[in-house]
Amino acid sequence: MRICCGLTGHLELARRPDLYGNPVVVGDWDEHVIAASEETLQFGVMPGMALRQAEHLCPQATFLPPAAEAAAHLRELISSALYDLAPTVEVRIEGIAWLDVSGVPKPGESIREARRRLKTAIGREPRLGLGPGPFSARLAAARARPGRLVQVDRASEFLAPLSPRELPLDAEQLERLDLLGLRTLGAVAAMGPRELESQLGRAGRHAVLLARGLEPDELTPWRPPLFTSAHRQFEPTIEDREALLFVSRALCSDLAEELGLRGAGAKSIRVRLFFEDGSQERRDSVVRHSLSSAAELFGLIGSWIKEWQPHAPITELWIELPVLEGAGRRQLRLWAGGDGNSEEVAAALERLQERHGDEVVHRPRPVLLSSPLPAQRFA
Amino acid sequence: MQEMPLDVAIESIRVRFGSQALTRAAELPPPQPWPSRTPIDRLTGIGGLPRGRLSLLSGSGTCGKFTLALLLLAGALREFAHAIVIDTNSGFDPWALLPFHPELSALTVVRAPAPEIAGEAMAALAKAGAGFILLMGEVPEHWLGPLESGANRSGTVMVGVIDAPGRAFAHASSFSVGLARTDWILERGQLVGLRASARCVKNRVAPPLGETQLEIRYPLGTKSLFDHKVHVSEVAPLHTEELACESAVV
Repeated sequence: MRICCGLTGHLELARRPDLYGNPVVVGDWDEHVIAASEETLQFGVMPGMALRQAEHLCPQATFLPPAAEAAAHLRELISSALYDLAPTVEVRIEGIAWLDVSGVPKPGESIREARRRLKTAIGREPRLGLGPGPFSARLAAARARPGRLVQVDRASEFLAPLSPRELPLDAEQLERLDLLGLRTLGAVAAMGPRELESQLGRAGRHAVLLARGLEPDELTPWRPPLFTSAHRQFEPTIEDREALLFVSRALCSDLAEELGLRGAGAKSIRVRLFFEDGSQERRDSVVRHSLSSAAELFGLIGSWIKEWQPHAPITELWIELPVLEGAGRRQLRLWAGGDGNSEEVAAALERLQERHGDEVVHRPRPVLLSSPLPAQRFA
Repeated sequence: MQEMPLDVAIESIRVRFGSQALTRAAELPPPQPWPSRTPIDRLTGIGGLPRGRLSLLSGSGTCGKFTLALLLLAGALREFAHAIVIDTNSGFDPWALLPFHPELSALTVVRAPAPEIAGEAMAALAKAGAGFILLMGEVPEHWLGPLESGANRSGTVMVGVIDAPGRAFAHASSFSVGLARTDWILERGQLVGLRASARCVKNRVAPPLGETQLEIRYPLGTKSLFDHKVHVSEVAPLHTEELACESAVV
């Protein structure tokens, strides 16, 4: 396994690239420090300490309230940007991006591209590390200069001289390690996993495996969100149904193209119209067969728009597919004419049922054909 | 004498609006045929029912039009992934199909309680690309446009069965066959079938018009319906009536 790690700094800090180079502390008042820039480290500010204490240590720092949603959004953006560079990508809010480049034909190109994309997303050069696992790759990256890569071939040798403070242990456990005289990862690695487990619990065993470079942790692969949408703002506002149909057809094509790339389909469809007066109307539905082509999507959405009675000029149109799933494409039956249109026909029949009731569409299946009663012959 | 002004008029229209403004019917590309393997194929002039167009089977009761339609439907069920029956009067019973050995898994029946729903269903399914649609009844005039354009794109074969079509419905059809019963077939005093004349009363897909005689034998006896086969056969050679006029323009 070859893992590349890019360190960018906490994503809460990346929200304000204009403050790069200045001491910045992120945290709620009366709470703990969530993130602190490198410039505050020399003053002793550490994530996890009380914000009041951080202010006391570094009063000249800029204190920012956390914005978890914005940071999570940024994390999603970085994840999606790195998604096509390696089979497994994990990005953490702490500013750690891992890429599993094992089996990638040209890992060097992937790493260079990852560096470029991280720089674009964060606004500063990431530190890069390459190691046999996430732990060693992260520690290697932490020792690299911005924009540079530190490569680790033998994890145990690389880790041996490092401090146990690099291990994911709390302060009490680190203190106990110190009391045990374990002041390097090499010393921790020399202990048996069970011995340290008896001292620190499961974290002890985990720490020994990490210190030995055995990399017990696996990456949690990021997957694209199972949601997609397309929207269009109208300037000026529109009142023309034909224009709305035209735009919705274009949006359906965009969505179908994206679904095609993902090999996905959607059973749940939502359309929202925003009006000039600030209000909005929505309509949603769940169909039985997942829709994936532009014709299927527009078949449903177009029928809604044709009968929609907007109460004011429209400023914005949103088409959302809240839940994506496998498109479930099937092998076509070669001898059945028009089998390629089966999904469209099924969708058209579903729309009829939705509008006029289930009993409108009937698929007769033989049950008791010899019965004299017509009602018993077909289900 | 009338030819000269007509030619002059045609020429002036072409000069004014372009050579494609008027096209002789004989020069129009015919629609793709769906060979139904019934006597109707020869009446169309293209070797099958026209895809993407509406074909009508009309005639008063007991003339054999419904039997002929069931024969077409059974053939479509064997050939297409989806064959739809749009039933406007809830009179369609799939049981009547059994003597034609249909592939029932491809059959869907749309029971339309109102002509408006029938029109909507037919337009939507033609647009979606259903292989064959059998319409029992008529659809409102304002659905005929969407119906034609949808079927044109998808190539759906549409067949309507109706006693007497309205003017708009008849106008929207590209091919229309009028059936009339000419005789009952009696054997040993028992009614076993009928003879009907099938006359092409409208053909927009190809010249010429034509007429033929059909013999329809009912499934009778003690055997189950599955063991019977309805016979619809042509009993007389096809008569072809050449169009009397020399010019036909669309």
